[in-house]
Amino acid sequence: MNKTDLQNRVLAFIGGAADDFNALALEIFAFQREHNLPYRNYCGKRGIERWQDIPAVPTSAFKHLPITCFPAAEAVAEFHTSGTTAAQTGKHYFKTLALYDAACVPNFRAHLFPDGATLPLLSLVPDNPHSSLTYMIRRLGARFVDRLEPVTEPVCVLGTAFHFLNLFDAGFRLKLPAGSRVMETGGFKGRSREISQRELHRLIAERLGVTMIINEYGMTELSTQFYDHQPGMDCKDVPPWARVLIINPKTGQEAQPGEPGLIRVFDLANLWSAMVVQTEDLGVAEGDGFRILGRAVGAESRGCSLAAEVLQQA
Amino acid sequence: MSATVEQVREAIIRMRAARDHVLAHRSTPTVIAALAETARRWLAVDSPWRARASEQAAESLGFSPAMVNEIVDLIFGQWTPEALGELLDKELGDRRVLDEFQPLGRLASRAIGPRLITHILAGNVPAPGLVSILSGLLLRSANLVKPAARDPVFPRLFLESLTEVDAELAACVAVLDWPRTETAVTQAALAEAEAVLVCGDDRTIAALRAMAPATAVFMGYGHKISFAVIGREAMTEENLPALARAAAFDVSVYDQQGCLSPHVIYVEERGALSPRKFAGALATAMAEYQQRVPRGRLSVEEAATLTTLRAGYQFRAESDRRLSVWAGPQPNDWLVVYEDDPSFSPSCLNRMVYVKPTDGFSRVLDNVRRYVPLISTVGVAPFDERARALARELAEMGVTRVCPLGEMQQPPLTWHHDGRPNLAALVRWTDVG
Repeated sequence: MNKTDLQNRVLAFIGGAADDFNALALEIFAFQREHNLPYRNYCGKRGIERWQDIPAVPTSAFKHLPITCFPAAEAVAEFHTSGTTAAQTGKHYFKTLALYDAACVPNFRAHLFPDGATLPLLSLVPDNPHSSLTYMIRRLGARFVDRLEPVTEPVCVLGTAFHFLNLFDAGFRLKLPAGSRVMETGGFKGRSREISQRELHRLIAERLGVTMIINEYGMTELSTQFYDHQPGMDCKDVPPWARVLIINPKTGQEAQPGEPGLIRVFDLANLWSAMVVQTEDLGVAEGDGFRILGRAVGAESRGCSLAAEVLQQA
Repeated sequence: MSATVEQVREAIIRMRAARDHVLAHRSTPTVIAALAETARRWLAVDSPWRARASEQAAESLGFSPAMVNEIVDLIFGQWTPEALGELLDKELGDRRVLDEFQPLGRLASRAIGPRLITHILAGNVPAPGLVSILSGLLLRSANLVKPAARDPVFPRLFLESLTEVDAELAACVAVLDWPRTETAVTQAALAEAEAVLVCGDDRTIAALRAMAPATAVFMGYGHKISFAVIGREAMTEENLPALARAAAFDVSVYDQQGCLSPHVIYVEERGALSPRKFAGALATAMAEYQQRVPRGRLSVEEAATLTTLRAGYQFRAESDRRLSVWAGPQPNDWLVVYEDDPSFSPSCLNRMVYVKPTDGFSRVLDNVRRYVPLISTVGVAPFDERARALARELAEMGVTRVCPLGEMQQPPLTWHHDGRPNLAALVRWTDVG
């Protein structure tokens, strides 16, 4: 199958056409192994028969190697991870944004507007040319705002946990009209204050009068996002064109049900980069979805270690 | 069992009475003898203390029983009568100043230890806490000890073993625990202390410093990191196995949880063997040590950190010739990463170490300069004239200990912990004349 056919097949699958996930994943694996040299070097020639066995690309690889199946110079967009120095910035190159758009917009609508409503979208996240999050926000048609103003009709507010907390720490309070909603996404990395998601949702409900709050889990290295199944449930849905495995870090194998482990994402929309991404986040499988427990790397250690950020500040 | 304010106050009253008795009726040689005898009982191969520590501390500290065995040797092996006497002589000029006035120049002087020392211990490795209690006992002080949540075992077992040898001296120690959130109890523990010794992170130290009485001597030992340097003269075929074993020992002991554990080993280029060759030999030695003394259990977070790092380097190493990775058979076994990048990289601990080539010692100094306030120990091989020249430069930068590779984890009792005197800072002198 040629590249265009493969892309069309993935687009159709994301659009709802029937297909065989395993077969498609194996096709993409073969394609990526052929066209991405670092991935080929890593995978070797091993034979793979199940999508579960396809080797994952660690997110750190995006910081050091070109993880693309096309010449990076031909990219129509590149998204960067947050990081203070070049060595810490991961880059995700896009040959096309068609797959990203297809994976992003309907999935967002299905979770924020299950009732089919169309509300104005307001983003507390500032625009940033290399952020995948702000690209998504632009693509959704949101307006970037510095602050929330009183409105008469319901709105949908998008922001990172950090942005909401910043607002509330300054004493902000505004009752949004009934039917308003909030999408919040992770974003405490390197910030001075962290609170639990439950506490954040309680604050959002109290300060903005919004009860429909949905958390989004996304990352620069992926093209697909994951949303809470429904408000108040922190279990994430996995759309049909993606899979999530929880990997027990002590065995490297899939964790037992209920056992925490590292979140590994299989995202067919990442056709031109890496379909299988090994995240640095801990999670636990729950029903057909998964729950996020937090970041594993950089978690407090029991030893006489100095947190990486202390060393960076030194 | 969480101690209450009343229990802390009662323990202080009881210990002070015991301390006054010991001060009046005991001499330094008998105190040294009791401490050395206690250590001897721990060191016996069939020691019940060793056995109980292996069983209980393995559980709480997360070390393997074999590691606890190794730790017992490392700690108590140092507590010989000679070493204890030498420590007092070195710190106080003459051990007899603790017993009577001694002529020191034109004056006669006597040193008295604090009536009460409050020790707040850390839970990563047991050695500093035990040495802290040892110091208090040598000075015949009363010692209120708050063990770390993760190491309730070593301080209690040590006290029990001391009681068996010398109940009178042991009565000067009380091990009491309470959650750090119980500030009223902490206040009661600190209120009457003449000295406060704290091991922990900077935040803990700052909080306790603020709570300690203004007149008390306060010694805070924060988290530190260490590294090693191997000169090109050491990089010969003949030396390599012993060199690798020495480095593997320094990295692996305490599962790299201590301040003295190296994170990076810089190896000088242009020796008979290449730095990469050393990394391979180190991996072999790490595997051998793992066979003999297995690494302890990991939390999910620690295991995830280690696997993440390992997978990241393994992925990159397949496409980047500046990198090589050696790892044990399990996903979170020991890990040696050879990286041709001279910057100082902190390890994620649990037996993960970087080997980095360098074109000279001065380049190493450039790369570690900004971390100096955080550095404890620099292990060096060979420990020759060039090593001493390096030590002079490290000393001027502010590094507090330079030692032979393979001995990073065993500072003699006479070392200056974090660059400061241990006993001398605690005593009060009375001069006559």
